Amino acid sequence: MQRLVYLDNAATTPVDPLVFEEMKPFFAERFANPMTYTHSSSGDVAHAAVEEARVRVASLIGSKPEQVVFTSGGTESDNWVLKGTVERASRDRLHKPGHLVTAEFEHHAILHSALALQRQGYEVTFVKVGHNGIVDPDDVRRAMRPTTVLVSIMHANNEIGTIQPIADIARVAHDHGALMHTDAVQTTAHIPVDVNALGVDFLSVSAHKFNGPKGVGALFVRDRAALYPFMDGGGQEWGLRGSTHNVPGIVGIGKAAQLGKERLPEELKRLTNLRNMLFDKLSTRIDRIVANGDMKQRVPQNLNIRIEGIDNEPLLLAMNEAGIIAAGGSACNAQETLASHVLTSIGCDLKEAKSSIRLSFAHGTTEKDVDYAADVIPGLVRFLRSMA
Amino acid sequence: MDKYSRATIREFMSPSNIGHIDDPSGTGHITDNADAVELTLFISVDTGHITDAKYRIAGCTALIATLSVLSKELPGKTIDEALVLDMPHLSGLLDGLPESKWRCAGYAVQALHLAIEDYQSRTS
Repeated sequence: MQRLVYLDNAATTPVDPLVFEEMKPFFAERFANPMTYTHSSSGDVAHAAVEEARVRVASLIGSKPEQVVFTSGGTESDNWVLKGTVERASRDRLHKPGHLVTAEFEHHAILHSALALQRQGYEVTFVKVGHNGIVDPDDVRRAMRPTTVLVSIMHANNEIGTIQPIADIARVAHDHGALMHTDAVQTTAHIPVDVNALGVDFLSVSAHKFNGPKGVGALFVRDRAALYPFMDGGGQEWGLRGSTHNVPGIVGIGKAAQLGKERLPEELKRLTNLRNMLFDKLSTRIDRIVANGDMKQRVPQNLNIRIEGIDNEPLLLAMNEAGIIAAGGSACNAQETLASHVLTSIGCDLKEAKSSIRLSFAHGTTEKDVDYAADVIPGLVRFLRSMA
Repeated sequence: MDKYSRATIREFMSPSNIGHIDDPSGTGHITDNADAVELTLFISVDTGHITDAKYRIAGCTALIATLSVLSKELPGKTIDEALVLDMPHLSGLLDGLPESKWRCAGYAVQALHLAIEDYQSRTS
């Protein structure tokens, strides 16, 4: 069988076997509705599992358990916090359309939510991003208005992995009376994430980016009164998000959070080494290759490189034929175009953006995987360049 | 990005007729930075028939595969027969290119038309 080297972990990661084991009983055996815990011992088992998962997620991000609200994933968390805070403050406090500050290179869950708010008459400023892929807190400061309700800047970018100065930006937001949100989907369980050190009011988490299941995430909520409920329903999640709990998924995110926290110090070092090793080898073997985004202020699991003179689409297909899975833009964007809005936001022209690929690692990535990629990719680049 | 057929992937992974022709009868050159395309198609024509076609390409998979099948179709054809070659035909040779890729793959046909114009301007 052909070797398969999966280097698209920023798109999604496999469920860890230990996570899967822990989830299994909650499909058919311990299937009860956790909301029935007051009168049902079966319900109590499910309820206890949900609350244990809440404690584990809280422990991973340094919050109190009661500040963790389970959602269906990062996109829901992002949609909810943007719309829920801006709409609430505009109606209850400002009595006019409020203002949102975000950045040009955010994930589409943020960008499209911001555009949806804009279409409804709310105001949005998209702050520019530096060529190194990092937002300058002073640019955020200049964007602030008396009506600014929320500042939402991602903790690390999903395509280039650059880590943002969230604590500094949160101070700017708070100095101007605004709330601070960060989409921490690419950082949770990969680098230390502490809601208090970051000074954020909201933080989005997605389980499947750290070996948990798809379809489950969380939103850290410091003050529940600051946002409208996401869905009205049966009063789950303190009335913020109706809908019967996704118990297996929640158990899964809890276990993934626990494992992520335990493994983080070692994985941070290991993946940083693997990433740097791959970049060094590729740089030696391929000329005219550049890293997109700052290489130091960067999550360990991300490498994004620009290879002059090639189009990323045939390169990715040729890599796939050789058993290496990687990405051009982000997976969420792959249907539209392979010239990423993130890369154009940091100053790449379309041609440069289309000659870039993202290689992303996770707990399952080994040194052998990296060696294979470093051995195979240069030949494919030569193959494509030989046609030009 | 829609999915490519296996035929397209095979053609792209081992493309025919990459290269250039010394002293070609006609050349068609296309550059498009937004599409990251740089393409030159060379044709040789002898007594009214195309005898050879080669190309240099930096571009997407669809365009590389289309150029490859086009370059194999051209030899033996008259100019009029070559001008009939179009995307529906070339796409068929690749077991169907995704429609979203036709615009970019269409540079192959444009380059052929430019090469024929170049040939005709040299011979008229």
